Amino acid sequence: MNKIFYIVTAFLWINLYPLQAQSRKGNVLIKNATVLTITNGVQEETDILVENGVIEKVGKGLSAPANITVVDAAGKFVMPGIIDAHSHVGLEVVNEPTSPITAEVWMGDVVDPFDVGIYRALAGGVTISNAMHGSANAIGGKNITLKHRYGTSNPEDLFMKEAPRTIKFALGENPTRVHGRAHGIQPRSRMGVEAVIRNGFNEAIQYKKSWETYNKAAKQKNSTAVPPAYSLRLQTLADILDGKFIIHCHSYRADEINMLINVCKDFNIKNIVFSHVNEGFKVAPELAEYTMGASVFADWWAYKFEVYYSTAYNAAILSKNGVVTSINSDSGELIRHLFHEAGKTQRYGGLSDEEALALITINPAKQLGIADKVGSIEEGKQGDLVIFENHPLSVYAIPQMTFVDGIKYFDIKEDENDQRIKVSATEMVETVYLKEDDHKCMHGVEMFTETGNFFSTH
Amino acid sequence: MSVFKGHNLFMQMMAWMCSLFSLTVLAQSDPTGEKRVTGTYAITNATVFTSPGHSVTQATIVIKNGLIEDLGKNIKIPIEAREINGDSLFVYAGFIDVAGNAGVGKPATPERPNDFDPSDPPHEIVGITPYREVLDDFDAEGEEIADWRKEGFTLAQLVPKGDGMMPGKTAIAVYGQKGSSNIIAASAGFSSKFDAIRGMYPGTTLGIMAKWRDLYKNAELSAEHQILFASNSGIIRPEKNKVLESFFPVIDKEVPVIFEVSDELETRRALALQREMGFNLVLTGVSEGTSLISTIKEANVQVVLSLILPKDKASKKEIEDASSETTARLDRVKEAYKNSLKLASQFEKEDVAFAFGTQSAKSEDFMKNMRLMIENGLSEEGALAALTINAAKILNMDKITGSIEKGKLANLVITTDSLFKKGSQIKHVFADGYLFDYEDTDKQKEEKDEDDPVSGSWDYAAETPEGSSAGMMTLKKKPDGYQGTITFDDPEGGGKKTNEMKNIEWSGNTLKFDFDVDVKGMHISVTVSGDISGEEYEGKLSIPDFGSFPFRATKTPDSNHNI
Repeated sequence: MNKIFYIVTAFLWINLYPLQAQSRKGNVLIKNATVLTITNGVQEETDILVENGVIEKVGKGLSAPANITVVDAAGKFVMPGIIDAHSHVGLEVVNEPTSPITAEVWMGDVVDPFDVGIYRALAGGVTISNAMHGSANAIGGKNITLKHRYGTSNPEDLFMKEAPRTIKFALGENPTRVHGRAHGIQPRSRMGVEAVIRNGFNEAIQYKKSWETYNKAAKQKNSTAVPPAYSLRLQTLADILDGKFIIHCHSYRADEINMLINVCKDFNIKNIVFSHVNEGFKVAPELAEYTMGASVFADWWAYKFEVYYSTAYNAAILSKNGVVTSINSDSGELIRHLFHEAGKTQRYGGLSDEEALALITINPAKQLGIADKVGSIEEGKQGDLVIFENHPLSVYAIPQMTFVDGIKYFDIKEDENDQRIKVSATEMVETVYLKEDDHKCMHGVEMFTETGNFFSTH
Repeated sequence: MSVFKGHNLFMQMMAWMCSLFSLTVLAQSDPTGEKRVTGTYAITNATVFTSPGHSVTQATIVIKNGLIEDLGKNIKIPIEAREINGDSLFVYAGFIDVAGNAGVGKPATPERPNDFDPSDPPHEIVGITPYREVLDDFDAEGEEIADWRKEGFTLAQLVPKGDGMMPGKTAIAVYGQKGSSNIIAASAGFSSKFDAIRGMYPGTTLGIMAKWRDLYKNAELSAEHQILFASNSGIIRPEKNKVLESFFPVIDKEVPVIFEVSDELETRRALALQREMGFNLVLTGVSEGTSLISTIKEANVQVVLSLILPKDKASKKEIEDASSETTARLDRVKEAYKNSLKLASQFEKEDVAFAFGTQSAKSEDFMKNMRLMIENGLSEEGALAALTINAAKILNMDKITGSIEKGKLANLVITTDSLFKKGSQIKHVFADGYLFDYEDTDKQKEEKDEDDPVSGSWDYAAETPEGSSAGMMTLKKKPDGYQGTITFDDPEGGGKKTNEMKNIEWSGNTLKFDFDVDVKGMHISVTVSGDISGEEYEGKLSIPDFGSFPFRATKTPDSNHNI
């Protein structure tokens, strides 16, 4: 019996080996740190043992297993890896801005593992980002949750394969400008956006039905049932209706947020997170009751008309009203200091340390459906950790080391001038975008509409 | 040197005499007088490389009816054969281009309809035309074909040139005599690339990936429907769809997808689609991605490397007073340049039987680039295999071409020395049994001073507040320095003026000179100063009391020996 067991195990192990090799897992013991667990308070002079990529033990005076790297973090703070629920870092393409619904496209197809922005995010303590489609379309593409395992040339090494799928929706000025104003097709107004979404779902219901009818008929003996046409777009919408996706919806105004909540209620969709949500404070109870939360900016607004009614108290008001709230970057610049962004909620709204840090850890993890795996320092969770000099909510905070799955991907002491993975053979100086702080939400979209005006693209 | 023995000389004389009286004697059979005297040839006493690494010395090859009729020593030469004395010559199998555009035109894009909807454009407007045949846009007498044949290419897979993600079907043609169709196979492959037509769906790589999946799945379903319809009654009539039907041979693995990729990430995307759908895949235009070699081998995918190598802007570049950071960055560019030259050798080391494609490459750079790859680790046998037998196998044509064997197509390259040796020249090319002779015009080319980066013709452009100004500068090395002239837009209007370049100074990488411009009696001395890096010159043009403006020039190809 035992022998057979070993043979079977060995066989499986051989087969699984290439898969394991793809995503490296590390071992590390961090000693004597002030551990900001997020879910279990602050633990002084505490050790964290990560083995095979997983947090095995959190406690005092842990002994080091043989051959493990020990990091002395006395006087330093350790928090879980920061999670960004809305990002476009590490993407070669952001928008497929040519159709009001592009649910069929998938950001996993365009992940750029060479983007040095991933390394910069690590230097800001960010270990996970939701690499999202842009906001050009009412229903954009499927997103991909990335773990920042920088240093590989294989995009798939960055995929957090165990994360549920999320999909981008967008309301308001962006989809109406791109499709309505520029091309004269629906949606040209906020009403049009709602119509596009509702029509899409209704079509998906019919699509699903036609396939169910066919599949049932095809099972009969000697069936001559003719398969219906396939549509990756409608199939994806049907999957949303079946609860297989979490919607992450770009939105600003309270009325349109309410609108989409009503659409979701009508189609019995439960998994929805609103992004940006600058007027979220007006509909906080509704958001708390019906959604998986709101992902906001700390203090960024007035870049176009629909974003004037805004407040830096937004995150605090939402949090205090029971909305699962996160602070996101939507930017290759902001992603480097999301801990500062979280800190702003203490000045505007007086959130506690734990509440403020939850905005960039456990809350975005909940919004991405991965809170059972990451987002806090707990035994059994993945070993994504950041060591800070000074408290992360202090203006003096500086990330020292960032670990993903127990492997160190950033160390301020080993930080080189040139951290690029891939270098052009002909460009002496590679293009640097000075306006990196601009959102990439509308990246790739023609900036000029028929009026010739330049519109802000956030 | 081809020497005509007695009977051949007689034939030649006859031909000449016949042509004199052609109107009366041969009017019916050859009114043009272009018909060749004989289609039978014998190359005697040559060193014949039958396949990479295998050679026979003092061998004779007999060519007849477009085929290799016989090969070996002590072979009987047919009486009608024209003999080519191969005493000092080397014979190789004709080169094969697995992905080329020579002679291929770009089909016209149809007009957009009035009710054009960019979110759902007609297939032919958005470049989804897999039903198109490249042969519909092929000119067998195109000039580029002669250019590539001159470099030794005798057979090519023609890839359609249309815009969009699925421009059409490839074909295989031999680079033979004009007047013949020269086509060996139509519908040989299904061409695809990550080329989106902006502003309509699919407008980006994202959309292309999704559209591929959608079309492929629908093609499978459409095939299923057609089979049901053909063998049952009571089935709804399948809607004919020429786009989906074009996928059928791909689904049945009768033809491969010829996927053009421009970088490593595109290569991965093509591989991902192949993994999902299982079609036969030939990657073309591959120019990077050594980390992908094992994946490519596992997937059993064919690889066609690009013949384009990056311009050498870095390897000789020095930056004065550079910080250690700048130097380190420059070193990485140098390393990246070196690595791209090594790519072919890396594939060879890993036993990938790759070939080459000429798409977008320049024929005049061909041999230079082959030698660069060889200098950087590719073996000569490996290079020859890539150009011949590997390519034939990828095209599934190794029964008829790719090596010198009895019964194979008479496609041969005949050189004056070992193929890749510097100074070796192509003297004759046989394609489809037709002989093409090349004169010894390149001799001077080899004698030119290749290390002189200055001499030659340069196209320049200068950006001034009045707009950009362009012209040509021509430099020539003399015992006491450089001499040169520069053309520029006549400021007094109309046309170009030419003036002498003065005070030409050349030191390090820096080239500096002055020239005079006369404007309404005023005499302005203009100074240009900048650095040469390879074929690029970058600097500034200064006009006294006016300012300095960016000045850029590029050496025109092969300009060193035009002067």
